Amino acid sequence: MADAHQESSGSGDSFDLTQFYQIFFEEAGENLDLMEQMLLNLNLETADDEELNGIFRCAHSVKGGAATFGFSDVAELTHQMESLLDRLRRHELQPNALMVDVLLESADASRGLLARHQAGETGEPPSSADLVRRISELASGATPAPTLAASAPAPAPAAPAVAPVAAVAAQPTEPVVKGARQLEIRMGPLERPEQADAVKELFRDIAGLGEIAVLPSDRADTRVFKVGTSSSNEDLLDLFAFHVSREHISIRDLGDETGVGAAPQPGHAAMAFADDPPPGTPIAPAPGYGFFEGAPGAPDAVKVTAEVAEPKGSAKVVAKPNAAQQSQPEAATIRVAISKVDQLINLVGELVITQAMLAQNSRSLDPAVSQQLLTGLADLDRNTRDLQESVMSIRMIPMSIVFSRFPRMLRDLASKLGKKVEFVTQGEATELDKGLVEKITDPLTHLVRNSCDHGIEMPEDRLKAGKPETGTITLSAAHQGGSIVIEVRDDGRGLSREKILGKARERGLDVSDQMSDGEVWQLIFAPGFSTAEVVTDVSGRGVGMDVVKRNIAALNGTVEIDSSEGYGMRVSVRLPLTLAIMDGMSVGVGEEVYILPLSSVVESFQVKDESVNTVGQGSRLVKVRDEYMPVIELEKVFQVPRFDFEKSSDIMVVVEAEGSRVALLVDELLGQQQVVVKNLETNYRKVPNVSGATILGDGKVALILDTSALVRRSRH
Amino acid sequence: MPVILAVDDSPSMRKMVSFTLTGAGYQVVEAVDGQDAYEKAQTQSFDLVLTDQNMPRLDGLGLTRKLREHPQFKTTPILVLTTESSDLMKQAGRAAGATGWLVKPFDPARLLDVIKKVIK
Repeated sequence: MADAHQESSGSGDSFDLTQFYQIFFEEAGENLDLMEQMLLNLNLETADDEELNGIFRCAHSVKGGAATFGFSDVAELTHQMESLLDRLRRHELQPNALMVDVLLESADASRGLLARHQAGETGEPPSSADLVRRISELASGATPAPTLAASAPAPAPAAPAVAPVAAVAAQPTEPVVKGARQLEIRMGPLERPEQADAVKELFRDIAGLGEIAVLPSDRADTRVFKVGTSSSNEDLLDLFAFHVSREHISIRDLGDETGVGAAPQPGHAAMAFADDPPPGTPIAPAPGYGFFEGAPGAPDAVKVTAEVAEPKGSAKVVAKPNAAQQSQPEAATIRVAISKVDQLINLVGELVITQAMLAQNSRSLDPAVSQQLLTGLADLDRNTRDLQESVMSIRMIPMSIVFSRFPRMLRDLASKLGKKVEFVTQGEATELDKGLVEKITDPLTHLVRNSCDHGIEMPEDRLKAGKPETGTITLSAAHQGGSIVIEVRDDGRGLSREKILGKARERGLDVSDQMSDGEVWQLIFAPGFSTAEVVTDVSGRGVGMDVVKRNIAALNGTVEIDSSEGYGMRVSVRLPLTLAIMDGMSVGVGEEVYILPLSSVVESFQVKDESVNTVGQGSRLVKVRDEYMPVIELEKVFQVPRFDFEKSSDIMVVVEAEGSRVALLVDELLGQQQVVVKNLETNYRKVPNVSGATILGDGKVALILDTSALVRRSRH
Repeated sequence: MPVILAVDDSPSMRKMVSFTLTGAGYQVVEAVDGQDAYEKAQTQSFDLVLTDQNMPRLDGLGLTRKLREHPQFKTTPILVLTTESSDLMKQAGRAAGATGWLVKPFDPARLLDVIKKVIK
């Protein structure tokens, strides 16, 4: 047996585990995320077995993996978490907020440790000793005075503060029971567990036997003791036999145990489990494994020894996975490099262009002669569109990815501010382009933080205002046509018109009392504008809403505010579903074709001369249904050369951006089509009033107009 | 070629186990938990079942008990991987009809050692 053990750990060193690190890191991250989510959703009073088991399993899986792959610091921390969770799921302890806090902190710390391993950092890792101590205190059933601040609770004074965890019990600072050997003795399962209590009296009555302390047990029918003694196990069992039969006693030496999870080297002798089973137990001790005698399939004793002597050649591991292992049940998802997906999207984009080109050229064909070709082209058109849609959907990920980070953030924030906040999410399944999801996260974080910090009032203020003590922040996402609308709503104090106007005057902005609410709310997007009376360390430093607005505008999105003082506010962010493809309206000016984002087109009409008025400095206004709006002549903006002097633009397209409308003067409307957006900046340089370019069906390049820029232009 | 059913809810453990075993010339069928394993066992027989203990839906000992009810699994070696090292656990394993246990974490060479002992 001993030989086999040495041999196996020897060859284990040469087996390269690093190839599994990446998959472990991802899996551990997912487990920690899941655990955090479940902890946050945990109702302390009504926590059911399924929830507690689920949380336990997360810690358990991370611990198992970490120990296997040799990340002992992570294994140690998650082992402690697991111990606490194990007691919770066995209902030996009632979950409380303090435990949830410590577990959340530990999950964060584990993430940190994993990130260090992933980055291959060496050197002194951040100590998690404090967390380990706090968890084990909680796991031992000690209830430190609940402090609001998450600072370390005072160590529990009583002897039971020794956790049933070997790692902690072995700490020299603990009230160690004196004696040459430190043992953990379990008695059970017993019909009458009180029987075991009599064992304590043995130690009182027999001088020199040693000392005994009661450890918390994980089972009601089992007693666990910590014993310091110089007597042998056999002697102890003989003594105990007066009260408890031998079969029900197990003795474990704590002397050199370091805890299962803390084993630094998988396969090392310290690894685990070097139990010292009491005599009479039919279980054979083994270096990390064992067989039950007479169990089905177990090798007999002689055979074991015989095979140990066998040469190790067949255990050689060949780095070639068998093709037969195709039955991967988790194949529901695969991980693919984002660059591959982007390349696919690009290629499909080119295909769409080629298809459009063929479709355009085929229009001159005689349907009677080339009917087969035309049918084929129609099929190609449909298939290309389907393909494009499917490919685009690969990049789509659900908003829950973003939403899931907020419960934790709000919980921390609300407790820091002393507020009570309930967080509600709607439409987490709404999908959005991955690129957009990444870019929308920061602005949304800012909005949610604002709602909690500035929107929701203190509990006593809310009660005074006749509102429920707990405020509600709702984050919702929904598809509306070709865009996604994300809303952050709160039932807090809302925006104050007076305060905003006052602040604006203070800052020398041009405002008047006659401004509409909508215009007043837009003021908070001005750079450096903040109405927060107190600048907290959370938000309100005055860098904020302008950045939010700019970031969202950069994604072709818009922000709208709706507020009612005393009742709350709503910020709506509207974004296109993807940045790579856009529904566009193509318009002709002279020989040129321009694309307008369809999302910003309001209407178009043939203009009559009398409806256009020229005001100062050559600016022109058009009256559309009692509303005057600035006219922008694209011909002049882009200096389009015109060869047909008879012709002049007489079609107006009204576009809306940043809350304002302008009328663009064009020659003709060519149609609506999906265009593949190509970045102009990376291929050429930044061009004013243009947000990108696309390739048309006939191979010509058309510029995509930046409607926001055109609207801004009209204001000057 | 001996066929081994490897049951673990952790993808990285599954991958490591199956990589190790296929490299050593075994054929491996993976299952994500006890229930999945039990369903796979309905349609195929295995020379060895290697199962994690703590899994959603059906745990390792539960799987062992259910498999032992079927005639074709009466004598199949079933090894339970566990991080729990208590005697209680071992006794529960024995009662469920497991062939033996293997403590996690283990290294690949040890796994192969143990498997060689039980696969004829």
